[in-house]
Amino acid sequence: MYDYIIIGSGIVGTTIARELSKYDVKILVLEKENDVANHQTIANSAIIHSGHDPKENTLKAKLCVEGNALYEKMEKELHIPLLRTGAFVIAHDAEEENTLNDLYERALRNGVTEINFYTKQEALKLEPNLSDDITKVLSLPSTKVTYPWEVAFACLENAIINGATFQKDSEVTQIKKTGEIFEVEVNSKEIIQTKSIISAAGVFSDTVAQMIEKDVQYQMKPRKGEYLVLDRKVKGFMKHVIYPLPTAKGKGVLIVPQVHGNILLGPTSTLQDEKELASNTKDGLNQIREDVKYLAKNIPFDQVIRTFAGIRSSSTYDDFFIQESKEVKNFFHVAGIDSPGLTAAPAIAKYLVTEILNAHQLKKNPNFNPIRVKRDAFYHLDDKVQQELIKENPFYGNLVCKCEKITEAEIMETIHGPLGNDTIKGIKKRARAGSGLCQGGYCEGTILRIIARETKQPVNKINYYSKNTPILVQETKVKP
Amino acid sequence: MKIDIAIIGGGAAGLAAAIAANDPAVRILVIEREEQLGGILNQCIHNGFGLHVFKEELTGPEYASRYMDAFYEKNIEFMLHTTVVDIKKTNDFLVTVTSLEQGLQKIEAKAVILSSGCYERTRGSIMLPGERPKGIMPAGSAQRYLNIDGYLVGKRVFILGSGDIGLIMARRMTLEGAKVLGVAELMPYSNGLTRNIVQCLHDYDIPLYLSHTVTNVKGKDRLEQITIQEVDSKFNPIDGTEKIFDVDTLLLSVGLIPDITLFDSLSLIKHPVTKSAIVNQFYEANISGLFVCGNALHVHDLVDYVTIESEKAGKNALDYVLNPRKPSKQVHEIKLNENIRYVVPQMIDFEYFDVPIELSFRVTKKMNKGIFKLIQNDQIIMTKKAKNLAPAEMEKMSLNPNVLIDSSPLTLILEEVEA
Repeated sequence: MYDYIIIGSGIVGTTIARELSKYDVKILVLEKENDVANHQTIANSAIIHSGHDPKENTLKAKLCVEGNALYEKMEKELHIPLLRTGAFVIAHDAEEENTLNDLYERALRNGVTEINFYTKQEALKLEPNLSDDITKVLSLPSTKVTYPWEVAFACLENAIINGATFQKDSEVTQIKKTGEIFEVEVNSKEIIQTKSIISAAGVFSDTVAQMIEKDVQYQMKPRKGEYLVLDRKVKGFMKHVIYPLPTAKGKGVLIVPQVHGNILLGPTSTLQDEKELASNTKDGLNQIREDVKYLAKNIPFDQVIRTFAGIRSSSTYDDFFIQESKEVKNFFHVAGIDSPGLTAAPAIAKYLVTEILNAHQLKKNPNFNPIRVKRDAFYHLDDKVQQELIKENPFYGNLVCKCEKITEAEIMETIHGPLGNDTIKGIKKRARAGSGLCQGGYCEGTILRIIARETKQPVNKINYYSKNTPILVQETKVKP
Repeated sequence: MKIDIAIIGGGAAGLAAAIAANDPAVRILVIEREEQLGGILNQCIHNGFGLHVFKEELTGPEYASRYMDAFYEKNIEFMLHTTVVDIKKTNDFLVTVTSLEQGLQKIEAKAVILSSGCYERTRGSIMLPGERPKGIMPAGSAQRYLNIDGYLVGKRVFILGSGDIGLIMARRMTLEGAKVLGVAELMPYSNGLTRNIVQCLHDYDIPLYLSHTVTNVKGKDRLEQITIQEVDSKFNPIDGTEKIFDVDTLLLSVGLIPDITLFDSLSLIKHPVTKSAIVNQFYEANISGLFVCGNALHVHDLVDYVTIESEKAGKNALDYVLNPRKPSKQVHEIKLNENIRYVVPQMIDFEYFDVPIELSFRVTKKMNKGIFKLIQNDQIIMTKKAKNLAPAEMEKMSLNPNVLIDSSPLTLILEEVEA
């Protein structure tokens, strides 16, 4: 019997798992996918927003500003990457400057403390590739960029060492409540009992809520965003996150420097019925290319190495929906977590746990350890440390992913790590092998063989991602 | 370790450069990341290699083995399974390499020849729309899985792009029992060699859809379906021309790009079309002592041309080590008209122009008949007539120093000749 089952291991579920693991409770995190952070958390802009955009007096505004500050602490405790870019919001004429002034006022009311204006000249001096048509810039120095799924890994790993349990490939198919006990059915067979449920099921939040509530107060409205990724060769093209003025559809198409040097262009914003279909469209990709020209000049479009799309978990409710069910006691909704969800996640976790503490007395976990240890990537270490590591483990000497400089030892550590994984995509998410210019064209075969060797599976059983995605489909040669 | 010439990449280009640079007075080291020399030739088990150099038709491994034999005979030093991590330049070059066996090592070299080949453009770089299933991969990766590892990557295959690897793989996968449903090419003409269109597609009744591209892909986990559409003259898909194919694999043969990632830390001047170094007639980049050749310099049609070019680069690197040239002030770029995409070398150093230079270049469009003219000081100093010009076929012209008027810049143009 668990005290809490958390449904979903995106950034929201994992930050909640970590926050709850500070208390002496038995936690199980259920994930329907074969890995942590497979949907919204792996396909977003990666920005830790300052809080200039959400409407005043909303949870979005409050938790965005609080979350931004909490990332500073998480960086130290969890060893997650943070790139302190700062952000510019850009105006092009007098009318837009008025809106920019409104945003300034809103940011102040939301509790953003660091904020100032730049003239066109000042802004162009700092960012020479900004469009020459800009007239004024709102600067938000507290905006930063992280590596979102690494944050989810870090939080979940930390929750696990503090006692939480994680179970992947586990889709919740039914929920029943008998007396005070929930019976959670997983994959239409296994039944797991728990005293409370926290649903952080992202775009499936309404589906999960309908399993237990008659009258769910929101409906999910999946909203797709498409992106272009530029190779890290472009590092320095833009040093700040660049926002246009927000519209009713969202923050618009942005330019976002990433922690590893790449630059993201996007996202678009289109409502769709399908909850998981994250496909790229010609129109969407063209729109990004058109829209970013409004922000910058000399954009290195020839450095595009990848496109992707993500689905935002928007809902019909006008704010984050974080509350205990009005129908079913001890069932907690954490729904409608679209932007600024990544930023707000650690604050959402604290807010939810505070709500829980108001109703229940939880004992502190006396052994809680806030630290998650992770070494920097081998090629970011200094020469002496590299030499020592190679002496200990010669596999550091074998460079597998040439584009991102990832060694065989790091791939082996990833396979056997705390949230180990035996798929090509799982290795890519954790070690970045295959994320570079050639997109795995050179190293995929090598990684495949390393996974096969380390997990004692035949090479043709190694999947790219899910069960139906082997890379080697049919053996052609008969071995003697 | 201190050496004279470090050669990065032991494929066709690196081997030819090493053999040509070999001299009792210099110490050469070839650095190869794979476990054997020969490079991509090892996975090219089809024939058609060597027609120019050996006047006979060899398979890739056969062609490679001829150069490997010659290379071993000269006892040139080499490292296998060793990757170059970084190159720095002060007076000499400092090359950092790493391997499982030796760990990280620093190598000082007076000259560097980069013969590291090219990489394949990917789904991302062509911004292919659609869902994100597995089953879409560059044709060369599929070739490696099939010919080196012995596995087919799929059973029902479509190929986007009519580059040579795509055509070769259409035949190869058919021979191994896969069904290849077609090849789509965005351009109104093929990007592969004519002989490959005939021998790999026509002979196996595989349709080639010219002026077509893939406009959608579907499949949650594994690829299930693709849509191709005809495109207009501006490459926009035409509504109503959709054709749907149920396939589990889409191979991409949409271009190769020289792999010069290693130079990211050097201030190399690059050419926007070849996406590699701008070189002079010695195949030397703007960084003195740095030579680039083979597919790392520009993508060749035939390995024979790689060999010929790399032998010259090797000799030039040897010259550089033995008799360094003084910096020259007479270096000019060759100007081109709109019918020529690029020329290699891009620069000519007139102060040291004593032996003929071979110009390699590609045209921008298909032309039945044309005439190339080399112009200096508004005077035509050389002409060459040509038939059946196509961007897929590399053109060559030998430029003799005795045709020059003076050392002012050259312009190379192509004019269409009406039939």
